[in-house]
Amino acid sequence: MVIVMNDKILALFQLCDSNFPTGAFSHSYGLESYIQENTVHNLESFSQWLQVYIHEQLIYADGLAARLTYQALDEEDFEKVWKIDRLLTVQNLPRETREGSMRMGERMLELVQTLYEIPALSSYRKRISAKQSFGHPAIVFTIVAHYLGVSKSTAVLFYLYSVVSSIVQNAVRGIPLGQTAGQKVIRDVQSVLIEASHVIEQLNEEDFGIVSPGIELSQMRHERVNIRIFMS
Amino acid sequence: MGDWTGVLHLNAEDRKGKTVAKNVYFQGAFKVMRPVYHDDSGRACYYLLNPGGGYLDGDRYQMKINLAENAKLTLTTQGATKVYKTPKQYAYQESEIILQAGSYLEYFPDPLIAYQNAHFKQKNVIRMDSTATLLYSDIITPGWSPEGEHFSYKTVQLLNEIYVDGELVVYDHLKLKPSVQKIGGLGFMEGFTHLGSMFIVDRQMNSSFLDHLYSLLDQNTSDYKVGLSLLPVPGFTARVFGNSTQVIEQIFSEIHRNICQEWFQTKQYSLRKY
Repeated sequence: MVIVMNDKILALFQLCDSNFPTGAFSHSYGLESYIQENTVHNLESFSQWLQVYIHEQLIYADGLAARLTYQALDEEDFEKVWKIDRLLTVQNLPRETREGSMRMGERMLELVQTLYEIPALSSYRKRISAKQSFGHPAIVFTIVAHYLGVSKSTAVLFYLYSVVSSIVQNAVRGIPLGQTAGQKVIRDVQSVLIEASHVIEQLNEEDFGIVSPGIELSQMRHERVNIRIFMS
Repeated sequence: MGDWTGVLHLNAEDRKGKTVAKNVYFQGAFKVMRPVYHDDSGRACYYLLNPGGGYLDGDRYQMKINLAENAKLTLTTQGATKVYKTPKQYAYQESEIILQAGSYLEYFPDPLIAYQNAHFKQKNVIRMDSTATLLYSDIITPGWSPEGEHFSYKTVQLLNEIYVDGELVVYDHLKLKPSVQKIGGLGFMEGFTHLGSMFIVDRQMNSSFLDHLYSLLDQNTSDYKVGLSLLPVPGFTARVFGNSTQVIEQIFSEIHRNICQEWFQTKQYSLRKY
């Protein structure tokens, strides 16, 4: 039993690895605007930004979406999954982050399809090709986790980790921070992510899509950042 | 759910180039004045009134607006929406707006002022045809307290849903809870006190118009900060931070003026409330 569980966890690890080529390395989710304005410039200010991003945006959008998707898959309610895909996309008002998520979702989907045969993913891809759905990494990830039989809470937690670890990698390049500082952030953020996954478990559907206005505004303003290393 | 403090239903239609009310129904603490025609475009302008002067504990307001084909309407309030303290039950307002083919709605309510310990929730649902036009804005102030302290309200939650041809295209959800969030800090208001939001949906929107607006508005100033972005359908959203209602209103007015000029070849008129 323990070994079976390890198999699944290991399989999900592959998707969390920052080497997994979804294109996450080119998205800063508005962080680059803060770097350019010098509001985020060192380990402390980055950690502060990251906490706000996790608690005030990530949990209400991607995090809650992952949990709701998992539940819908349990109930084989695919219409609900497509509805979450749309909600996740249209609540993302800054165009760059919205289109970035769509691109990442599609890339992740294509890649995972070469690794596993999951009927829900095939339907998702067809819908995206037909422009009925948009594509989002949180949904692709959750479909895979559900297929692998990983528990809901683990699926959500691992997804949060995968998002945050690539943001930290990007911060290391963008601010820049030392590699060691980056690893310290990743260690310290683990308790934050566990707490966030508990919060997500308690949220209602009505809490979906709450944004922190400052982070959202910086994501919009990123469109006007002329010299940039990130696409969002 | 029929237990409303105030109800307003307004159905408007186009009659030979002039927009007139087909049905107007209001009840309780919600009223609308007779329409004003500010120019010869046929567009009717309605002012909403809250005769009670503000929203109290547990108040519930419902508004339903329906614009028939080619009807053109401006909707605004006569003054700020004030929400007083709500010790027991939050105050609530919901609006459903239906815009049929070729119709045009400007909905520019005055700013929201939430008093100390107020909890307010607002939900706007807009269902529009892809040939209709929507111009919407709102402004959240830091509220009011006897000591002049900012952000002393409990919660302000605003939800906007826009459907075009039956599909959800905008889901905008703000929930400000100053007692648990570092409201002035990074990620929230970032040192500013007022937050304005604007949603524009119209087939004529394109990215060069957005560039044009950015070049007009994105000045190197510490008075305000503006973010503009295209929606997944032709249209855009604007978020503005500022330190006064006037600063944000000026920006929205500038956007409005450009839309009137570039898309409709009309002249913007003042809503002249004071």
